[in-house]
Amino acid sequence: MATVWIPTPLQALTGGEATVRATGGTVKELVEDLDRSYPGFKEAIVGEGVLVRPGISVVVDGSVVKKGLLHPVGAESEVFFIPAIGGG
Amino acid sequence: MNKPEKLPHFRVVGTNPIRPDGLDKVTGRAVYGDDFKIAGMLHGKVLRSPHAHARIKSIDTRRAAKLPGVRAIITGADFPKPSVAMVPMGEGGYVDMNDTADNVIAKGKAFYDGHVIAAVAADNPHIAEEAVALIDVKYEVLPPVMDVRSAMAPGAAVLHETFNPGAFFMKTHKVLPNASRLELGAGDVARGFKEADVIVEREFTTETVHQGYIESHICTAQWDERGQVTIWTTTQGAFAIRDQVAIVCAVPMSHVRVVPLEIGGGFGGKDTAYIEPLAAMLAKKADRPVKVVMSRAESLRATGPSSGTFIRAKMGAKKDGTLVAADLSFAYEAGGFPGGPIAAGVLTSITRYNIPNVRLEGFDVLVNKPKVKPYRAPGATQSNFAVEQVMNQLAEKLGMDPVEFRIRNAMKTGDRLILGFPCPPVGGVEMLEAVKKHPHYKAPLGKNQGRGVAFSFWFGAGLTSSAELSVNSDGTVQMCTGSCDLSGTRLTLAMQAAEALGIDVEDVSPTIGDTHSVGYTLQSVGSRTTFATGIAVYEAAQKVLKEMAGRAALLWETDPANVAVDRGDFTDMNNPAHRFTFRELADKLEHSGGPVSAQSTVTPERVGFQLAAHLVDIEVDTETGKVDILRYTAFQDAGKAVHPDFVAGQIQGGVVQGLGWALNEEFWYDAKGRLCNASLLDYRMPIALDVPMIDVVILETPNPGHPFGVRGVGEVPIVPPAAAVANAIYDAIGVRMDALPMKPGRVLQKIKEQKSAAA
Amino acid sequence: MHDFQFVTPGTLNEALKLLAKHGASAQLLAGGTDLIVKMRVRHARPDLVLDAKHIPELNVLKLDGTGLTIGAAVSCRSIYLDERIAARYPALVDCTALIGGIQIQGRATVGGNLCNAAPSADTIPALIALGAMAHLRGPKGKRQLPVEKFCLGPGKTALRKGEMLIHVRIPKPAKNSGAFFLRFIPRNEMDIAVVNAAAAVVLDARKTKFISARIAIGAAAPTPLYVEDAGAVLADEPVSENMIAEAARIASDAVRPITDMRGTIEQRRDLAAVLTARALRGAIDRAKRGNR
Ligand SMILES: Cc1cc2nc3c(=O)[nH]c(=O)nc-3n(C[C@H](O)[C@H](O)[C@H](O)COP(=O)(O)OP(=O)(O)OC[C@H]3O[C@@H](n4cnc5c(N)ncnc54)[C@H](O)[C@@H]3O)c2cc1C
Repeated sequence: MATVWIPTPLQALTGGEATVRATGGTVKELVEDLDRSYPGFKEAIVGEGVLVRPGISVVVDGSVVKKGLLHPVGAESEVFFIPAIGGG
Repeated sequence: MNKPEKLPHFRVVGTNPIRPDGLDKVTGRAVYGDDFKIAGMLHGKVLRSPHAHARIKSIDTRRAAKLPGVRAIITGADFPKPSVAMVPMGEGGYVDMNDTADNVIAKGKAFYDGHVIAAVAADNPHIAEEAVALIDVKYEVLPPVMDVRSAMAPGAAVLHETFNPGAFFMKTHKVLPNASRLELGAGDVARGFKEADVIVEREFTTETVHQGYIESHICTAQWDERGQVTIWTTTQGAFAIRDQVAIVCAVPMSHVRVVPLEIGGGFGGKDTAYIEPLAAMLAKKADRPVKVVMSRAESLRATGPSSGTFIRAKMGAKKDGTLVAADLSFAYEAGGFPGGPIAAGVLTSITRYNIPNVRLEGFDVLVNKPKVKPYRAPGATQSNFAVEQVMNQLAEKLGMDPVEFRIRNAMKTGDRLILGFPCPPVGGVEMLEAVKKHPHYKAPLGKNQGRGVAFSFWFGAGLTSSAELSVNSDGTVQMCTGSCDLSGTRLTLAMQAAEALGIDVEDVSPTIGDTHSVGYTLQSVGSRTTFATGIAVYEAAQKVLKEMAGRAALLWETDPANVAVDRGDFTDMNNPAHRFTFRELADKLEHSGGPVSAQSTVTPERVGFQLAAHLVDIEVDTETGKVDILRYTAFQDAGKAVHPDFVAGQIQGGVVQGLGWALNEEFWYDAKGRLCNASLLDYRMPIALDVPMIDVVILETPNPGHPFGVRGVGEVPIVPPAAAVANAIYDAIGVRMDALPMKPGRVLQKIKEQKSAAA
Repeated sequence: MHDFQFVTPGTLNEALKLLAKHGASAQLLAGGTDLIVKMRVRHARPDLVLDAKHIPELNVLKLDGTGLTIGAAVSCRSIYLDERIAARYPALVDCTALIGGIQIQGRATVGGNLCNAAPSADTIPALIALGAMAHLRGPKGKRQLPVEKFCLGPGKTALRKGEMLIHVRIPKPAKNSGAFFLRFIPRNEMDIAVVNAAAAVVLDARKTKFISARIAIGAAAPTPLYVEDAGAVLADEPVSENMIAEAARIASDAVRPITDMRGTIEQRRDLAAVLTARALRGAIDRAKRGNR
């Protein structure tokens, strides 16, 4: 089971839990798994189709991953959803 | 300057060759925006709103159209609906293209002083300017909303009835009138403050500031009969401009060719299309090429500055010096459209310290100012100004040395960051130790002199880059990338190609492609070019070497697996007599299958964090409040400094801009929301006499995400100066500065308050 | 920029005739460092621009037994580069050498600085402190005005229709005198004065007593201000920090500043006092060293 770090605004859904465990082979599957326990989770993260909502970056094991929801995760993976950041 | 040790296995990386574009730039041969001319070219001028907030009732262009020599006039009505509503800007950031289009030219409402209302193309700039003055616009003037606190106060005039909070992290976030709100956190802040032995709580304000690039925005547009438009422009990113023009003008992307010219500074402010869509529309209507040159005043009034802010900061620590809680609230100006540097500002505020209990709140606030744009480490300078002063105050209350206090709390490789993920390799503690050991830290100070320190962090960006390498038969190499060169990156990229191929840097000839000649490449922003485009170059070089190894195998009639490649040296593992240098093999490519070239497009994911610690000595004239900078030492981790002199140059440039924020730079609006200081006389950037030599200490903690260990360097040096100067002022005369800029009148006011409090 | 006519009169009469004929729609161009800037931003729209650089009377720079004549078209740079002038009028060097950079100083004139009548003009306080007279010519002939009476408000002068400035005349410095100009700017160069000040003092032979003093403050009222009382209070008093503080207080009370992007009322009042004191100290110091 991978570990998902719940962003502060969504901790209302998880009853204040900052990290939860979820099953799945991709980030998307983890999100769908979590949505079963915490309804509304998917809607907060997933935008159109297989894309994350605008403004969110997906981090898997320390790297901001370009494939977002489609990125594969392992049993020991840690997944984070962070706000997008621009640069100058 | 302390030069980093040149690691023995690097031949090119870590040296300081002369830049290939240097002579062209100092002799005037280089072609910048205004140097570009084309036959039949008309000149465009822009009519801008004199009001900060107004409904446009009518625009009458008839008088202007009658002026001889006027060839085209456009208003918002000439623009189609954008062809795409939202576009990604990399790293998950999105831009609302309706906002972008409305920022290019007002439709119905003007949101800031300088917002474009109409534009004219004429035979010469003087006629165009006269024609602009003949356009009659009727406005319904609305009350302007000029700072974050009044924008969020009940009863404030509303800029947009509905707006797209953006591209603003979580849908669950609150949308208020004129603002949206973000909250992040960890632990339990209330409990954290209960554990704290010392707590500091303060409020800060900072003003709107501008990047102040010396070359203004300048472009020329020309259409052909197939409906394809070519735009020559000065920009940080040709593809970014192409995408914006294509969407705003509703033209297929393949029909917009953007040719980047040399750029006279950008700092984040030149990846937005302001005049390019105007030039394109004027050129289309006039059926002639059109050049548009923004004046200095226009660029200050109407191109994206960095946000003014209001900040509340409360932090607590235990007696032993460990930080236990931080409760920080930041309101950043977004300008006339949503989307300020809120996430970055909020997250960078404390990312460099381990704090178990944190609440971070951010507001993205609409005000009647130009839409803010990135400016070197967007958002971080403001939040750092607050947090690094609170850090010093906590250290003072604890009786600890301020650097020691920071060492005690500095994040280390593997520590959990505020959002939970482990910190990639960083050298923060080593950097702070270097500060403590540096002679500057203990040097004596005179009367009214003080020393300040600040420690800062910036994320940096990865994003997409492309590169192509072509091997010439004489062993030289053409290198084309899509990255506009703001800082010497032609050379730092050529150096990485040379390093990877095992050839001399003089044998790599770098060029910057236009959008029709090179693979997709995002802007030169986020300190990413030497890092990310460097990886593209490195990957292309690996492909070249692999192909060439195959050719060697062919020539030696052996299996490619038997060819050993060490940089540019090819050997047959089974026959020591078989050896080729890169040059020798290059000469044989023609007859072994034809010339070799390779392309690579990459989107690197492991960006190295940027850390900087600055030390500054200042002196205050206590009669006038003027602060003079006496000595400056900047410490920064470059990962691997590809060209140490360029790294030093980036650091020095960032420091000078940071000192501008610290001392004098601010947009000064009158009560009606009109920008009064739209000139470099009154928008006071530092001049040469205002800054001492800036000493640079480069440290190197390699970034495992880059083959040579590179991390970005361009942005973080702007972050510490404002806080460091504020801390130095306190050290000198015992007054705490809570507002930027720390201009003489403000410092004098503080001195007078201090005197009357003492009396 | 709008269309306009450019004429280079070779004689004063020709210039005066054109001025009389075209009235307010004609403007003289000395160095052009104010005029051209204003025309480019449409703040000035003359139909006729008269080049002053070829009118002989306006190009006189002459030091004689009774004083110094500075023609209205003489550049700042030629003033401070003249060693004899620089030795006798160091306060003129203080101000002419800090207007813009070398290129600007090569074009800009004291006459233009005066006729432009900016409250912050950097040469005017020194001219006032040095007791300079403005010499004018117009359709009705010649007249003279003390420089402190020349500016009437921002951009407004006592020049009448068809009248022009020919030169300023500065008297020979008295024995045991010294003068000093300084300005306060937030940066260290290339800036516009938040407040500026000039002081000229005449001391007794032992240099322990003031005989007389003239103090002028700029950028702290609609025009550069001659603060007669601040100078008068020093007459016959000992040279002391107390007296300097008293003059500074009077100057600070006399100014009528505004708040704008360059400074606040309060800051300008404070600066008027600080700069008056510093100008006086500088002038006294020079008087003690033979005005060097
Ligand atoms: C980069 C820069 C820096 C500057 N720095 C400073 C500074 O530090 N301090 C400062 O005080 N000023 C400064 N200025 C402003 C300007 O240079 C000075 O005011 C200068 O002395 C003006 O002289 P000029 O000969 O160029 O005037 P012009 O522009 O030629 O004329 C100014 C005005 O006076 C009128 N005029 C000129 N001659 C006559 C005459 N004989 N009779 C009647 N009217 C006349 C003109 O019609 C015009 O209205 C600066 C300007 C620039 C561009």
